[in-house]
Amino acid sequence: MMNLDIAYPLQYGFQDPATPVMQGIISLHDHIFFYLIVTTVFVTWILSVIIFEFKDEFFSHKYIRHGTLIEIIWTVTPAFILISIAFPSFRLLYLMDEVIDPAVTIKVVGHQWYWSYEYSDHAWSIEFDSYMLPTSDLELGQFRLLEVDNRMVVPMDTHVRLIITSSDVIHSWAVPSLGIKLDAIPGRLNQTSMIINREGVFFGQCSEICGVQHGFMPIVVESVKMDNYISWVNNMLDEA
Amino acid sequence: MRYKNHTYHILDNSPWPIFMAFSLMLSMKSAVLFMHGFNGGSSTLLIGFLLVLLTFFCWFVDVSKESTLSGCHTYLVQRGLKIGFILFIVSELMFFVALFWAFFHSSLAPSVDLGVVWPPKGIQALNPLSVPLLNTIVLVASGVVLTWGHHAIITANKPHTTVSLLITIILAMSFTGLQFLEYIDSTFSIADSVYGSTFFMCTGFHGIHIIIGTIYLITCLYRTVYGLNTNSSHVGFDTCAWYYHFVDIVWIFMFISVYYWPYSPTLN
Amino acid sequence: MSDRPETVLQTPQFDARFPNVNQTKNCWQNFVDFHRCANARGEDFPVCVQFKKTFTSLCPIEWVDRWTDQVENGVFPTKLD
Repeated sequence: MMNLDIAYPLQYGFQDPATPVMQGIISLHDHIFFYLIVTTVFVTWILSVIIFEFKDEFFSHKYIRHGTLIEIIWTVTPAFILISIAFPSFRLLYLMDEVIDPAVTIKVVGHQWYWSYEYSDHAWSIEFDSYMLPTSDLELGQFRLLEVDNRMVVPMDTHVRLIITSSDVIHSWAVPSLGIKLDAIPGRLNQTSMIINREGVFFGQCSEICGVQHGFMPIVVESVKMDNYISWVNNMLDEA
Repeated sequence: MRYKNHTYHILDNSPWPIFMAFSLMLSMKSAVLFMHGFNGGSSTLLIGFLLVLLTFFCWFVDVSKESTLSGCHTYLVQRGLKIGFILFIVSELMFFVALFWAFFHSSLAPSVDLGVVWPPKGIQALNPLSVPLLNTIVLVASGVVLTWGHHAIITANKPHTTVSLLITIILAMSFTGLQFLEYIDSTFSIADSVYGSTFFMCTGFHGIHIIIGTIYLITCLYRTVYGLNTNSSHVGFDTCAWYYHFVDIVWIFMFISVYYWPYSPTLN
Repeated sequence: MSDRPETVLQTPQFDARFPNVNQTKNCWQNFVDFHRCANARGEDFPVCVQFKKTFTSLCPIEWVDRWTDQVENGVFPTKLD
């Protein structure tokens, strides 16, 4: 089975989710879309009726100033619709904020114009920069403006804490498949978490305009099985 | 004059709005050039600023003529002018809210780069009980004297109005002078961390408002001396007093929160 | 490499003092606590080791280097004794 972990031309839908948070975002989107369609159809219908039924008798309701019943209905109904949109939204929002039981902490630092990653849970820190691969260096099957030289490697099915910051201007670390888009702000540490529920390579891009090469500092997250993650960490520690 | 059967003031055609628009645009654009160090940026900025002042002057002369010579400012029109000025003061209030917001944002939870202390380490804050307290007294006194002037103008007492306005102007100028000396003596600049930035943005913009208020007061004094303010028609004086009292109140808040609250004698 | 300890997954847990997305103070407080602890009990005291692990995991390396320089030069803005 192939998963859609990358954007394709003229895409208007989501990429395939790789975290519970992204699944939640897609569910919320579908939930809100239901109300959106119902409201749009209803309002369009009402407007059409008004326009077509009364087009020859403009002043037929000239003396109607208010109607308590209809006013209550058109105030209370939208209020209920808004509540039923707001509650799942808040629920998801607060779920996304939870970082209760992380197993790994990874620091993400935005620079002009590349990302760098730090893994400091171990005896000494693993620290590397992640630059975009220039088009001339790409091999067949690699994605232009999306591949990097050093990927951020994370274990799958594991609660990972991300600490996102910047060393110069505001950047934003965003990966659509993971449902993460968090600003990297100099002097501030923003925290978020992810649990990637499958192996894969996930692509993202800087999402806060940060200078001339804003479009050329992509993000690549490689999700691997725990054993492979441990051996990757060991290799990196030995190299450091 | 054309016959009219209402008490509204239909304005004649005037060149000043479009003139003001162009002068302001010149000022803004040359300010950008000046700040980026372009050749001639400063002189263009000066020209733009002088054009703004010139337009202000000509416009206000016209308003004064409409009021005093044409009698266009009926009670209804005066009411409109006052409502307009109140809205202007409210917008000024929101401007200062923004500056205070920046100050409290930075001072209530100081960032870790400042060591989570306010004032930041190395900043020698000004002693609020020295010149700033004197400045507070000077400003409050000038506000009191201005109220005396207000009472004098509605009781048609021209000598008292003149004298009180003169004293208010002198006190306002003393305030500006004291602030100037305080700025010269301060050991930190606008570039010294967010403390210096918020301090000089807040007090500096307040100082500019005091200077504008002083010019406004001088205009009022001139108009009083030449009999353009009367006991029944003195919208210019009223709005001037509102403006000046507003700037006065802003100072009180600024004294309490920017000078007095963060200051600790042991830290300095 | 032989001197490398076996890799275990261990990272600072949720701290109720810092429940928000903004973790700046969490990193900073642990750095300060470590130095206060080390000044009082020495760096190898178990509590101090815990503080050090926490700030090392949370603070960007660049920040730790800068603050450590400040501590060594006596210009760190907060009291550490």
